[in-house]
Amino acid sequence: MVEPKDYDNDFENKWCPGCGNFLIQKAMKQTFAELNIPPEKILFVSGIGQGGKTPHFMKGNLFHCLHGRALAVATGAKIANHDLNIVVNSGDGDCYGEGGNHFLAAIRRNIDITLLVHNNQVYGLTKGQASPTSALGMVTKLQKHGVTSSPFNPLATALGSGAGFAARGFSGEPEQLKELIKQAMNYRGFALVDILQPCVSFNKINTHQWYKDRVYDIQSIGHDPSDLAKAIMLSLEWGERIPTGLFYQKESTPFHSRIGVLQDRTLISYPFDGEKTAAVF
Amino acid sequence: MRTNITVKIGGEAGQGIQTIGSLLAEVCHSAGLFTFSIDDFESRIRGGHSFNLLRISNEQLIAPGHIPDILVAIDQRTMNLNKATLLPDSLVILNAENKSDSNADIDENSCSEADLEGCKSDNVLRISLNRLAKEAGGLITANTVAAGCIFAVLGTPFDMLKELLVKKFKAKGESVINLNITAAQKGYEAAGTVRYHKQFDWKPTKTDRIVISGAKAAGLGALASDCRFFPFYPMSPATGVIASVVPYSGKLPIVVEQAEDEIAAVNMAIGASFAGVRSMTSTSGGGFCLMTEGLGIAAMTETPLVIVDSQRPGPATGLPTRTAQPDLLFVINASQDDFPRFVLAPGTPSETFESVKKAFYLSEKYQVPAIIMLDQFLATSQVTQQNFFKVDKDVERFILNEDNLKASDSLSQSPDTYKRYSITDSGISPRALPCMGNIMVRVTGNEHNEKGEISEDAKNKVNMSNKRNSKLAAMKKEMELPEIIYPKEADNQFFLTGWGSSKGPIIEAYEILKLDERAKERGINFGYIIFKDIWPMDAESLKPLIANKKLIMVEQNSNCQMGKLITQETGIIYHASILKIDGRPFYAQYIVDKALETIS
Repeated sequence: MVEPKDYDNDFENKWCPGCGNFLIQKAMKQTFAELNIPPEKILFVSGIGQGGKTPHFMKGNLFHCLHGRALAVATGAKIANHDLNIVVNSGDGDCYGEGGNHFLAAIRRNIDITLLVHNNQVYGLTKGQASPTSALGMVTKLQKHGVTSSPFNPLATALGSGAGFAARGFSGEPEQLKELIKQAMNYRGFALVDILQPCVSFNKINTHQWYKDRVYDIQSIGHDPSDLAKAIMLSLEWGERIPTGLFYQKESTPFHSRIGVLQDRTLISYPFDGEKTAAVF
Repeated sequence: MRTNITVKIGGEAGQGIQTIGSLLAEVCHSAGLFTFSIDDFESRIRGGHSFNLLRISNEQLIAPGHIPDILVAIDQRTMNLNKATLLPDSLVILNAENKSDSNADIDENSCSEADLEGCKSDNVLRISLNRLAKEAGGLITANTVAAGCIFAVLGTPFDMLKELLVKKFKAKGESVINLNITAAQKGYEAAGTVRYHKQFDWKPTKTDRIVISGAKAAGLGALASDCRFFPFYPMSPATGVIASVVPYSGKLPIVVEQAEDEIAAVNMAIGASFAGVRSMTSTSGGGFCLMTEGLGIAAMTETPLVIVDSQRPGPATGLPTRTAQPDLLFVINASQDDFPRFVLAPGTPSETFESVKKAFYLSEKYQVPAIIMLDQFLATSQVTQQNFFKVDKDVERFILNEDNLKASDSLSQSPDTYKRYSITDSGISPRALPCMGNIMVRVTGNEHNEKGEISEDAKNKVNMSNKRNSKLAAMKKEMELPEIIYPKEADNQFFLTGWGSSKGPIIEAYEILKLDERAKERGINFGYIIFKDIWPMDAESLKPLIANKKLIMVEQNSNCQMGKLITQETGIIYHASILKIDGRPFYAQYIVDKALETIS
């Protein structure tokens, strides 16, 4: 059996003490252990940001790519070999800002991967600028007069674009988060888990306590994840109360099952036959 | 004896100009003749002015024609644009309708006698395409009528045309076949006894030749290299490369995926390559701009990557459907900082096929990006060549597998201590694939240590940069030196020097200049130098070959990029340059005239 500690490595961690990423990473390790996936059988693809560094601080195969591009790299890797377990660690700036176009395309393609967005509503790696999910009016060192754009709504966007799996977790609710990541890993298709987390260094508004006071588990109030209309309504709720949990899940056909040549086997597993190739020219 | 005939068919976009051209080329091919065909069109789907320039010969052609021997003017604009440059013995097929003819759907843009004013040739054959097409059974066959007429003046036996029409329209059924045969017959008969004064010997001939474009050669070269994944974003004149592999999906294990943008296309290719599948993307300069960050991550992670850059004039949108060679210095320097890469610039479709195979081989052998430079001219010109589809039985992948991992006694390759970036003499580290065994493959765009961990250590930075750059020495030796041809004994020599697609026109110019009286009178001799494998440049080997030679750079850019590169790498300064930046391809006579001007 795989244990969470099998994912530990000895590379020096570089996050700030108290960072929400520690709890997210812990939930990841527990999930993989419970699913019995050893680190050599998982491929992390991550972007740029503090969230993108997550796989560096644990074992596993890793492609730590450019800002915003994790989903594009993951898409290529999944098409090459759809047997790969691919987990993408991204952030609110990485995924919803720099990589916004790839986010929309990944939903539409329904690439069978798990996307974990470490959403702390601020740019941590570059020291505290506004992110696409920062609240309108939030003051930062560079947005001195407050953020002038309204925040991006990842869940509503995903649901409106036809996503088959959309969930929101909170780093301060590790048990729920672990279950959401597990459901996402088990889902056949593109699975988004938007994860609210505090940034202890740069986001003085959306603190751990701020979230604690607001989040509530939609499963505990009996939300039916097959109800798209209700899921969309919930995705629009933000303020005094913030819903978390599995918003929506439906059965879907992942990208590789839509491609004829990938029906029976992975692209990489076909043997090369020079004579056969020459014969079809 | 060599016979060359250049046929120019001009009209509006949407009038089927390219269809007539390809029908012509196909019949020529079935008669064992050689063709070199270029399509000149605007960035629009309907209207405007476009033409097909088809050069036909009984010997191998390496360059396009220019002044038409036979001009087919489907519209007035074609007549007006060409009449002043026609030769006295050129033959004009004029689409001239009787505009009071109530029996036809009148083409308002068809020609009239007034359009012939100032025409250098008075061999004019007038036909009414729309009227004849309607008589044949449908306006849609106007192209076939035109083709019939052109074949008549070329002296092609009607049966050869008929045979091709039967083959071509077989899938569409008997009635479509018959309709087209009737239309072709109408056009054929409309020529009466008019024949162009130069004639070929027409008879059905089986050959081992193909008619192919550079774009298709690139696509097939990729398939022959076991490339399985083609992510792309549409862009002229690069889309043809990807289009050429689409018919093989279902027959070969390939996936063609239209990405959301060029950034995604290149990153998808990198992701697939990392996972072990050979991938290629294709774009033009503007798309390559978006791919430059991807080039950097491929280099930093040492992930093999093959990109085709099919060049067009810029900057920005520039001339989308035209040709140029303006990206050489860009692709050699693209992306921040410095890293090794290969840049190959084939000159013909057959060279393109081989260059793409070489790019895949080198990219995996050295774990660096490889870029193939095409341009609109090479990508879209259809050229008759000997069949060059040589597919190797197997391809060498340079990837560690479970067996050689286990067999290896090197600590660096055992599951616990595998180092993706272990420092080696060659700079090349053993490459394994993710999730393929007990080892873990970890790569990052950050500077990293041998294990692929982020490292900001000063000494490590120097070591890793040196490791990557140490591949260069061996990479240079993989590059073929330029082809240099000249009369060895002669003195007072000038070398027409080019790269990539201008190869054919330069060689043809050289052949013309060998016999040129003006050059002989002045005691001047010409040679040529053609670069195909460009980067990394093996300056040490190149220098003695070109030292003390007077280079006349022949390029399709405004800043003489190859000339600058030669100077940068060897210190040798070129003598003069012939630079063409109008977006239209080189033709031999242009180079001849400019070369003689240059040295006078």
